[in-house]
Amino acid sequence: MQEKFMGFKCRKCGRVMYPRHDRCLSCRGREFEEAELGKEAALVTYTKVYAIPEGIEMPPLVLGIVEFPGGVRAMGQLTTDDPKIGVKLRPVWGKLRKIGEKEVYGFKFEPVEKG
Amino acid sequence: MRGVAIIGCGMTKFGRREEDLVELLAEASLRAIEHAGVSDKDFDSVYVGNMMAGELVHQTAIASSLVDRINLAPAAAERVENGPASGASAFKNGLLAVASGAADLVLAAGGEKMTAADTDVITDLVSTMTHPIAEYVHGVTLPAMAAMLARLYMERYGLTERHLAMVAVKNHTNGMKNPYAHIQRLCTVEGAMSSGVIADPIRLYYACPISDGAAAVVLCPLEKAREFTDKPIRIAGFGHATDVQTLQEREDPAVLKSVKIASQQAFKMAKLTPKDIDVVELHDAFEILEIVQSEDAGFFEKGKGHLAVEKGVTALDGELPINPSGGLKAKGHPVGATGVAQITELVWQLRGEAGERQVKDPKRAFACNFGGFGNNTVIHILERAW
Ligand SMILES: [Zn+2]
Repeated sequence: MQEKFMGFKCRKCGRVMYPRHDRCLSCRGREFEEAELGKEAALVTYTKVYAIPEGIEMPPLVLGIVEFPGGVRAMGQLTTDDPKIGVKLRPVWGKLRKIGEKEVYGFKFEPVEKG
Repeated sequence: MRGVAIIGCGMTKFGRREEDLVELLAEASLRAIEHAGVSDKDFDSVYVGNMMAGELVHQTAIASSLVDRINLAPAAAERVENGPASGASAFKNGLLAVASGAADLVLAAGGEKMTAADTDVITDLVSTMTHPIAEYVHGVTLPAMAAMLARLYMERYGLTERHLAMVAVKNHTNGMKNPYAHIQRLCTVEGAMSSGVIADPIRLYYACPISDGAAAVVLCPLEKAREFTDKPIRIAGFGHATDVQTLQEREDPAVLKSVKIASQQAFKMAKLTPKDIDVVELHDAFEILEIVQSEDAGFFEKGKGHLAVEKGVTALDGELPINPSGGLKAKGHPVGATGVAQITELVWQLRGEAGERQVKDPKRAFACNFGGFGNNTVIHILERAW
């Protein structure tokens, strides 16, 4: 169980990245510290997948790319089947799928309720 | 570096084939060797583009197997793997071997045998090209990535589903004229738009089929090409570039930066501009990719590629015919074969040997083969050398 969606912050230039690289995409720095990407992110694009991989429960699988306030983006499953571009979502930890017999966990994105 | 020419090419029919992978590679290679008129010559090197033989047909070291099958030993032989751009990467390695002076006669082949496996298995294997942590585990598939790119285009540039269908209709129309094409069936915009949804807004008809097949070309130094053929094709330029692996981390997820950079490299080397090109083969594993590549390669302004399709600019009789072969959509996409098959089509086009789908008198041609989901692109520019 993880509480916060973490990225990797370059100690040399401060750029935050996700996923991890061993050299900074801006300055080739080699040292990083973990940094929270944010509590909310905006939906950039999405799809409802009907031809879904094995180990994922019934279609459609809703996937999207979200952008955190600092500009870092992540791809993940959406817990809504009525996504809209620009809507605010928050990362929530949960089961993503099975790969073989193994259950895989990670962050999904759920809509932030208004008000 | 010395100039390099293509002196012959050949391919198998793409589709559901009974033959095994090495038999398909042998068929295409022998056709290329005969087309080049070098049946009695010794080859120095053989490069075989293939993505997944170990996983799909339980056979490894296929380049060794090919030289054995068609008696090319003791030629150096190796398999080249670069995802769905394996074919163009194999070709590029052949080009460099001749250009450097290390080899005088080279066979560059590509092939894949896919239809014996279940669609689910193929979809999963292809998905393993994505980032293991940031993409794959979430259930992303290549159609899902194409769908997210298409939706960005719809939001930003006014692309509609109808445009994706129009690309499919064009490519099916061209494929009808190509005896090597997997799908030889006309389709209509309405028909394409009522096919099943794979990953919304991508429908079955906006994606390529799963195919078997192989293609091959023969390369030699430009200065020797005339000994073998009256119609040598010179490789005027190439480019090869990568980008970050995940779609979401790209500077702009709607821009295929590796296509941009590789195209600019190729045009610079060839001392040409997109306006000099007469015929193009693009990597339309999904029809949205034909549109995006046509812009990022420099043929159309960003966000205007779909308008060119609408106006018929990219049709066989348009100003810039794209995918006269039928593209991956109609010709098929045996992944390791695709890059070499694109070159093969363009050689036929430049030599005036493309039959019913012949573009009118082309002098220069452009090929884009695409590995990963746009993060590894190989470009070649070819021109007549007579
Ligand atoms: Zn840095």
